Amino acid sequence: MRWRKLLGYVSVPALLVGLTVASPEAKTPYKEPLKKAKTVDELVAMYDSSECVNCHADIAEEWSKSLHARSIFGTGRTIATILTAYKVGLKNFPYAGVKDVKDLKVEHLMFCAKCHLPQLAEAEDSVAQEIIKLAMDYMEGDEKTSAKAQEKLEKLNINCLICHQRNAIIHKWVEGYPERKAVYGSKSGDHPFEKMPKMKHSSAIKEAIFCGQCHGLGPNFELDEPSQCATAYGYYLWSYVAKGGMKSCQDCHMRESGLGHNIQAYRDKKMQEMAVDFHVNAKPIYWRDGAVIKPLIYAIVEIRNKAGHAIPDG
Amino acid sequence: MTAKDPSGKVVFSESKVLMPVPHQLGIGDRMGRGPYDKSGLLAEWGLHPLEEKKEEYRIFLPTKDKKPESLEYTLEVELWYFPFGKKDEYAPLWRKEVKKVRFSDKEPYPGA
Repeated sequence: MRWRKLLGYVSVPALLVGLTVASPEAKTPYKEPLKKAKTVDELVAMYDSSECVNCHADIAEEWSKSLHARSIFGTGRTIATILTAYKVGLKNFPYAGVKDVKDLKVEHLMFCAKCHLPQLAEAEDSVAQEIIKLAMDYMEGDEKTSAKAQEKLEKLNINCLICHQRNAIIHKWVEGYPERKAVYGSKSGDHPFEKMPKMKHSSAIKEAIFCGQCHGLGPNFELDEPSQCATAYGYYLWSYVAKGGMKSCQDCHMRESGLGHNIQAYRDKKMQEMAVDFHVNAKPIYWRDGAVIKPLIYAIVEIRNKAGHAIPDG
Repeated sequence: MTAKDPSGKVVFSESKVLMPVPHQLGIGDRMGRGPYDKSGLLAEWGLHPLEEKKEEYRIFLPTKDKKPESLEYTLEVELWYFPFGKKDEYAPLWRKEVKKVRFSDKEPYPGA
């Protein structure tokens, strides 16, 4: 009896300590959990979509020009910002528990990776640490080290398997959980590819809500430390749709732009043309204060936002 | 927007920033910049969907002997997108319009 009491007292604080130090697992969308990647190379292999190009060469070519194809490296500024998030943010946040790269866990990087690399949820903490080491190599290493780091970082991306499988289903209780042996799109049927022999229908993939998973609503409240990068879907819902806007993200960024899977934004000439109307009108006026002539130019600049979100957003 | 006389001298220059003002952690009166730092908005000065903004300018010009120093001016208006808050190698120029503005040199009647 005394032993039971003693064990009881011991086990309660032990459990509490366990709860205090445990990190919440980053959420993965698959019903059956995947064996977690231990290295960046393993994570790249887990979502390897290089074989898709054998049948979908045109689409792969379009995609390769987009920032989705290098979503964590970006133009170089994205990885620089992720490194800043570690150095300025995480290392200084008093309760993050991060003083060094070795302290980094997947959950620490999810405030960037939720959108820039959602599949990081299927990786161990060692991958989060490796990404930050690569970011340091890219930013601070010599030319050769930097180029090597860039090459590896550019393999981490939002590729075919992220949109057409991992993130293809939003309402999983209605449509089911994504399956590793299927690809998701507009049709159902057989898919002539041994590793993924099924083609399944995703209702969301052609809708704005699909893009809204990442190009989001504002603060990511589901995280212990909410971040805010994109606010585009928030503006889309509460400003664009509210004013009677009827297009989807895909209408402008994929179809009407003719860019297809080369999904672009402010850097692209076509998207710039589509985004705004811009007019300048000006005329001369001889203004007078009594007998004093004061020449002035009267100018009006008109800008109309035709996009389904604020410009800029953020 | 800039206004220049025929010699290229800038007689007027003004820029206006249209952007949301991200709130640092959504708390207090400070603006945040990094995504890890931003939560919510302190103010929204961006261009909303389907919204039209009209910016009006009344540019008074230098005079000499009760007449404009120059009868002709060039107005240059540029619309830039600054992804990182300033003009850098990542910032594309979205639009540029150039207008010539010419003042009349004849008074409608002597001493007008």
